[in-house]
Amino acid sequence: MTNHLLGLLVVIPMATSVVSVALVGRHRPQRVLGVLSLGSMLLLSLRWLLEIRDGDVLVSQMGAWPAPFGITLVFDSLSGLLICAGLVVALGCYVHGFSTLSPETERRYFHPLAQLLMVGVNQCFLTGDLFNLFVGFEIMLMASYGLLSIGGSRRQMGQAYKYLVLNLVASTVFVISAGLVYGMLGTLNLADLARIVSGRVASGEGLPTGFVAVSVLLLFVFGAKGAMFPLWFWLPDTYHTPPVAVAALFSGLLTKVGVYAVARTFPLVFAVGEARDVVIPLLVVSAGVTMFLGVLGAVSQHNVRRILAIHVISQVGYMVFGLSMMTTAGLAGALYYMVQHMVVKSSLFLCCGVMERHTGSDDLDKVGGLLRRDTFLGVSFFVAAMSLVGLPPLSGFFGKLVLIREGWGIHWWLSVIALLTGALTLLSMLKVWTTGFWLPPGSETSTPTGEPGGLRGAYVGIGFLVITALFIGLAAEPIYDIAFHAGEQLTDPTVYIEAVDPHGLVASLGGSG
Amino acid sequence: MTTVLAICVTVMVTVSVYLMLSRELKSIAMGVFLLGHGANLAILAMSGSPVLPWGGLRQPAILGGEHLVDALPQALILTAIVINFAVMGFFLTLLIVTARKTGTLNVDELAGEEPPRSSPELVSEPAPAAGLETPRVAD
Repeated sequence: MTNHLLGLLVVIPMATSVVSVALVGRHRPQRVLGVLSLGSMLLLSLRWLLEIRDGDVLVSQMGAWPAPFGITLVFDSLSGLLICAGLVVALGCYVHGFSTLSPETERRYFHPLAQLLMVGVNQCFLTGDLFNLFVGFEIMLMASYGLLSIGGSRRQMGQAYKYLVLNLVASTVFVISAGLVYGMLGTLNLADLARIVSGRVASGEGLPTGFVAVSVLLLFVFGAKGAMFPLWFWLPDTYHTPPVAVAALFSGLLTKVGVYAVARTFPLVFAVGEARDVVIPLLVVSAGVTMFLGVLGAVSQHNVRRILAIHVISQVGYMVFGLSMMTTAGLAGALYYMVQHMVVKSSLFLCCGVMERHTGSDDLDKVGGLLRRDTFLGVSFFVAAMSLVGLPPLSGFFGKLVLIREGWGIHWWLSVIALLTGALTLLSMLKVWTTGFWLPPGSETSTPTGEPGGLRGAYVGIGFLVITALFIGLAAEPIYDIAFHAGEQLTDPTVYIEAVDPHGLVASLGGSG
Repeated sequence: MTTVLAICVTVMVTVSVYLMLSRELKSIAMGVFLLGHGANLAILAMSGSPVLPWGGLRQPAILGGEHLVDALPQALILTAIVINFAVMGFFLTLLIVTARKTGTLNVDELAGEEPPRSSPELVSEPAPAAGLETPRVAD
């Protein structure tokens, strides 16, 4: 189905970003504009998600250029779910920022940069073309470099470079591999690539020389962006230094775009034929190590923000676990897990922000007894933490259930690692809960830095995300159905290829000439 | 022609890796920029050699002719250059701000002087030095 309005998901935040540059220094209009932009995009994408719940695919060809020549935007089950989740996260963090960001940060272009981040994220999710994926990545990263160095304290500066240089190198490798793909197959449109690659494998012609090398290069690129096993070192420090609303936004969006890129391109193009035998073992090993070492790192920490940040790594491992199976249910489980993880993880970071406001610290030695002081915060944190762990009625349970059950028949030892990781996650979440919220504060509690008032925005943000997380858990079936359609479309790409129709033009030219 | 390009790309990537391994942020920045240029040349090689195997040259599309150069890689390079340029601007600005704020552009010095909260065991120091310092602190 064609839907020419898909471009709005990129145009709206872009326009908002430009307008709010002009409004810098005037917080109120900027905030209203930002909420309007994110809210309208959320409503639009929810509407489209309902439209495609039976497995349809919405496609828009920019400028009416036919598929392999122009830019294609695709809104299918995979990108639709992730766009909705991303916008929910963005809205929650944005509203939370109203009460936790310093006026200084807001004046330093927080609003334009946050909108620009959404331009990049939405473009990555929507695009149906490898080079545009690169452009989307770059826009997102530019905005994130800016957000990361806002305020520019000494520590932030030191950490910003690690993130900046790693991502620049990864992006350069991405450009080179996109060029190599074009040199080998003569197209960059994902649907067209999928058609050519599967055709060559089916006809026994085989893949061009070096195709496997390009697959591995791309795995490096997406692994670096998604913080998979050997390339995760930038993550804990990056999420530790910026203002909490920014850290929450990053935790919900950045790594997930990397994982999405693997989910989009690998089953379709780069893990087909011989490449599959090379890529799958890499993914499997990376998944196991990422899951387990990530959670071990988190257990050893004593600082709430660090615990949460290192848990992001461990949960990226779960998603890669799902991807590495390359079966319908495995991919669907990974997608469902990703959606709930984005919402839950950001809400935990936002809770941590309020905790810092109350006590002036996120060090577990210095906080305590928060449940009595702020019941709303305590309850929200508990619900979100238990969703992360995967307690039955909550959202994390269904994601892990699908992954572990599906994985049992394929790599049983990965399922064992996943279960063990779940137990250790419970341990570290309970550590935060008991020392931070349940037990009375220790002797050396620090005093709050700011005035405790004016947390309305923060509560609205947290409440919105926690309610969404509860909804994802309680309405697991309809959401999982959409995820299952996504899994089907990834394992059998004919629907995707036919929707984009990259050889429609070629066929019509051949017919007329 | 493609061989020449390949040699150029190799040299540029080698130099950029050497630069990026340095401890000075200025050199790292130069290494990153050079890597970007190397990548652009690598894409250029994808549009195929302009020299035809049976003699003669491929023409740019705008001039017409029988054998055309594939213009798409050049469009890709153009996009990549614009993005590189923006990133370069940001990186250099960040360098200037860092130098003004901290007075150093050395990676070790930037990472070394964390705020006092990070206790000595987190700062990576050779073990004997730490061992020597302990009794002095005890005094």
